[in-house]
Amino acid sequence: MFLAILAGFLLAFAAPMLYRWLGKWVFVPMALLPFSIFVYLLTLAPAVLNGQNLGELQAWAPSLNINLHFFLDGLSLLFALLITGFGTLIMLYAGGYLKGHPLLGRFYLYLALFMTAMLGLVLAGNIISVFVFWELTSISSYLLIGFGHDKESSRSSALQALLVTGLGGLALMGGMILLGLAGESYTLSELLERGDLVRNHALYLPALVLLLLGAFTKSAQFPFHFWLPNAMAAPTPVSAYLHSATMVKAGVYLLARLTPVMGGTDEWQYTLMLVGGVTTVLGALLATQHTDLKAILAYTTISALGLLVTMTGIGTAPALEAMVVFLLAHALYKGTFFLVAGNVDHATGTRDLTQLSGLSGTMRYTATAALLAGMSMAGLLPFFGFIGKELLYEATLQESPFRWLLFAVSFFSGMVFVAVAIALGFGIFWQRSTRPTPLQHPDKPLLYLPPVILACTGLVFGLLPGFFVTPLLRRAAEAMLGVEQVFELALWHGFNLVLGLSLLTVLLGYVVYRYSNKLLSYASRFNGLYRLGPANLYQLGLNGFLTGATKITATIQNGYLRSYIAAIITAFIALVVLSLSRGGPRLELANRLPELTQLRLYEVVLLMMIIPALIFLFKSRSRLTSIAIMGIIGYSVALFYILFGAPDVAATQLLIETLTVVIFVLILHKLPAFTYLSHASERYKYVLLSLAFGAVMTYVILIVKQYPLDSQLKAYYGQSSYLLGQGRNIVNVILVDFRALDTLGEIVVLAVAAIGIMAMLKLRMQKGDKP
Amino acid sequence: MKTVILATAIRILIPIFIIFSVYTLFRGHNHPGGGFIGGLIGAIAFVFHTMTHGPQHTVDTFLKVNLYGYPRQPNQSRSLYLMRMMRVNVWRRRKMARHPEVKHRMIRIESVYIIATGLLLAVTSGVFGLLSGQPFMHAYWTDFYIPILGKPGTPILFDLGVYLLVIGVVLKITFVMSEE
Repeated sequence: MFLAILAGFLLAFAAPMLYRWLGKWVFVPMALLPFSIFVYLLTLAPAVLNGQNLGELQAWAPSLNINLHFFLDGLSLLFALLITGFGTLIMLYAGGYLKGHPLLGRFYLYLALFMTAMLGLVLAGNIISVFVFWELTSISSYLLIGFGHDKESSRSSALQALLVTGLGGLALMGGMILLGLAGESYTLSELLERGDLVRNHALYLPALVLLLLGAFTKSAQFPFHFWLPNAMAAPTPVSAYLHSATMVKAGVYLLARLTPVMGGTDEWQYTLMLVGGVTTVLGALLATQHTDLKAILAYTTISALGLLVTMTGIGTAPALEAMVVFLLAHALYKGTFFLVAGNVDHATGTRDLTQLSGLSGTMRYTATAALLAGMSMAGLLPFFGFIGKELLYEATLQESPFRWLLFAVSFFSGMVFVAVAIALGFGIFWQRSTRPTPLQHPDKPLLYLPPVILACTGLVFGLLPGFFVTPLLRRAAEAMLGVEQVFELALWHGFNLVLGLSLLTVLLGYVVYRYSNKLLSYASRFNGLYRLGPANLYQLGLNGFLTGATKITATIQNGYLRSYIAAIITAFIALVVLSLSRGGPRLELANRLPELTQLRLYEVVLLMMIIPALIFLFKSRSRLTSIAIMGIIGYSVALFYILFGAPDVAATQLLIETLTVVIFVLILHKLPAFTYLSHASERYKYVLLSLAFGAVMTYVILIVKQYPLDSQLKAYYGQSSYLLGQGRNIVNVILVDFRALDTLGEIVVLAVAAIGIMAMLKLRMQKGDKP
Repeated sequence: MKTVILATAIRILIPIFIIFSVYTLFRGHNHPGGGFIGGLIGAIAFVFHTMTHGPQHTVDTFLKVNLYGYPRQPNQSRSLYLMRMMRVNVWRRRKMARHPEVKHRMIRIESVYIIATGLLLAVTSGVFGLLSGQPFMHAYWTDFYIPILGKPGTPILFDLGVYLLVIGVVLKITFVMSEE
C-alpha cells in the first residue's frame, strides 16, 4: 500500500515530463497507474472479505507515536476501489476532454496528486496521517479548481474552496489531537476498540465539535455548502471526480470511520441528523432553481451528501447499510451524469438546460449513458439506485421518534432526484424536438466510453447484487458497526410499503419535472434570501478580514525605523517597570553610595568625555559632526571594556565603530541636506524615551550588581576551556566551540542581513509594482 | 574622495592589514582575537581602499581573477593539458597575456560567494562530528602544533568560516552603499 501511494506521487510529478514526451498519449500511463492499483486492491479483496484487517507500518516520527500506518478493512477497501476505479476512467476522460490543452501535463499532475492523496486518506491507519492526506486533498482540489487560472471566477472559487475546507482542516487537526488524547492513541485500529473510553472522556465534546466541523466543511454540509457549486468552475473531469464521487465524500468517510469510536451518543446523532437533513432539503430545493447542468448536479450532490450524513447520524444497522449502498449508487450515477454534462458542454458549447434538446440523434452513446444513469438516479427497477433508495426508505421508517420527519426529508430529496433524472437523462436527449441543438464536433470515444462504462456498472450491480458488491458492502458496514453484518442485497423485496412509496416518488417526481418551468419562474422570488446566505457571509468576512489586515499592517509596519525602535524600547521599559513594580528586588541606594569613593580617575575622565559628547550630539546640525561624535562615544565605550578586562569585546567594538563611521561617510554625500522635518515636540518625545530607557537600564544594572554573582559558569569555563576546548581565550573558545551552534545561527543572520541590504538597495522596484 | 596620501598609504597598508587580520584570526584561540575581529580588520582594509578608489577599482584590483587558456591540441593527453593550463595560470601569466592564441577570461568573485564559502566552511566544521556519530559541532583536534597558527582542529575551521563571512558581509554592504 505504501508503494502504491509512493508510485502515485512519483507519477504525479512525472506527468508534465510525460506530456512532453508522449503528447496526447499521456493518458495511457496516467490511467494505467490507478488501474494497476485497482487490480492490486482487488487481489487484497478476498482477504478483506474474509474479515481480515490488513495493516502496514512505516516508521515516520516514532518518538511522537506518528507512523505511516496503512490500514485496510471493508470501508477503506470500498472507498479505495471507488477512488482507483473511478480514477482510471477519469484519467481516460481527461485525456479526451482537455486534448491539445497546453497545460494538460500540469492538469494530470494535479489530478494524480489528488488521487494519491485521496487514496492515502482512506488507507491511512493513523489519524495524524489521515489529517496530512486530508490537507493534501484540499490543496490539490484548490489547484484543480483554479486550473483555468486566467479567469477571475475560477481563482476566487478555488480560494473559497481552499479557505472553507482549509479552515475545516484546521478544526479537524484540533479534533484529531483531542481524540488522540482522549483515546490515548493515534492509531486507528487501537482507537476503534476504545470507543467507550473516548465517549466517556471529558474531551469528547470538544473533539466531536472540531471533527464535525472538519467533516462538514469537506462534505459541503449546511452552512458550508456554498463552496461546492462554485467549485464547478473546475474542468468537468475534476467536478466528476472530486466534487461528486470522491473528495466531498471524504467527510462522510471520516464520519463513517469514526462511528465506532465516537458515534452513538445523543450529540452525535442529533447533530448529524439535523445538519444532514437541512442540507438534504436545501440542496434539493436549490437544485430546482437552476438551469445550468453542472449547478443542478452540484446541488443534488449536496443533497445526496446530506442524506449520507443523516444516515450516518441515525446509526442503526439498516441506516448504515443504506448509507454504504446509497454511497456506491450515488457515485456511479452522479459520476456518469457529470461526465455526460461535460460531453454535452464540450460538444455543444453550452450547459444551459433550456437551450439543449434532442441530442439523442447526434450523441447516441452519451445519450444512452445518460438514460441508464437517469434510471438509476430515479430509482427504477433493475438498477443499483433502486436498491439504494429502497434501503434508504426502509432505514428512515425504522422505529424512532423522528421517523416521519426523516422519511419526509428523504422522500422530498428522492422526488427532486427523479425530476432531475428525467430532465437530464431523458429531457435533453430523448424528448422529441423540432430543433435539435447543433453540435460543434461529434461524440468522441474517449469521452463517451467512461460514462457508458460507469452507467453499465450501475446496471450490472443492480442485476447481480450478490456477486461482489454485497460482501464488500457488508464488510464496510461492519467496519462502522463493529459487528458482523449479514444483510443481503436483493433487487426484489416483494410488494410492500416501501415499493409503493418508491412508485409514489417516481410519480411525484414526474409531476415536478412537468411543472419545472413554473418552478423555475418562482425561483427569482427567492433572490432576496441569498443575501442572508452563508456565501454572502463568507464574502463579507473575507472582505473584512482583508481590510482589517491591510489596516493593521499599515499601522504596525509604517516604514519608519524610528517608530519601530521606539515601540521596541517602550515595550522593554514597560515590561521592566511592570516586573519591578510586582515586587522585584529593590535597590538599596544608601548602601551603595560609599562605593562612589572607589571611582578611579580614568573612569571619571571617560565619563567626562561621553556626557559632553552626548549634549553636543543633540545640538549638532550637521550629519558629519553627529557621526564623528557618535564615533567618540563608541570609542569611549570600547575603552570602558578594556578597563574592565574584556579585550575581545573592546576590539570588536573599536572595529565596528570604525566601520560604522567609514560606511556612514561613504553614503553621506548622497543624502539630502540635513533638515528637521518633524516638530520639536516629536524630538523631545524621543529624548524623553531615551532618558527613560537609560534610567531603566542603569537601575537594572545597579540591582544586578547588588547581589553577588553566584554562578559556577565562570569557574567551569575557566577550567574546561583549556582542557576540553584546547584554548586559553575563554571568550573565543565559548564562541567557536562550546556555543558554536549559536555562533552559526548568528553568522547565518549576518549573511541574510547582507543579502537583505542588497535586495533593499539594489533591486529597485519599478514604479507601480506591488511590494 | 581621492587623496594622494591616503591612496598611497592604503596600497602599502593593505597587505599589512590582511596579514595582521589572519594573524588575529589564528591567535584568537589563546589570546584576544578570533574570526570575527580578524574578519573586521581584513574588511577594513578593503573598505578604506573603496573609500579612496571607488568600488569598481577595488573589485578590479582584488576580486577579479584572470584566467588564461588555449584550445587543447588534438594529440595532447588530458592530464598534460590540465597541467599546462595550470602552469599558464600560475607562472607565466604576464607572458601568456600577450600571446595571440591565448584566450583570456575574467572571473569576478562576488562578495556573496565569499559569504557562501564562509558559511559552508562553518557548517562543514560541524559535520565532522555528525559523520562519526557524535553530536553536530563536536570538536576534533589534531595532535601536532604548527608555529604561529597553533593546533589545527575543527573549531579553527569554524573560525575561518566566520572570518570569511564577516569579510564578505562588510564588503557586500560597502559595495552596495557606495555603488549607488
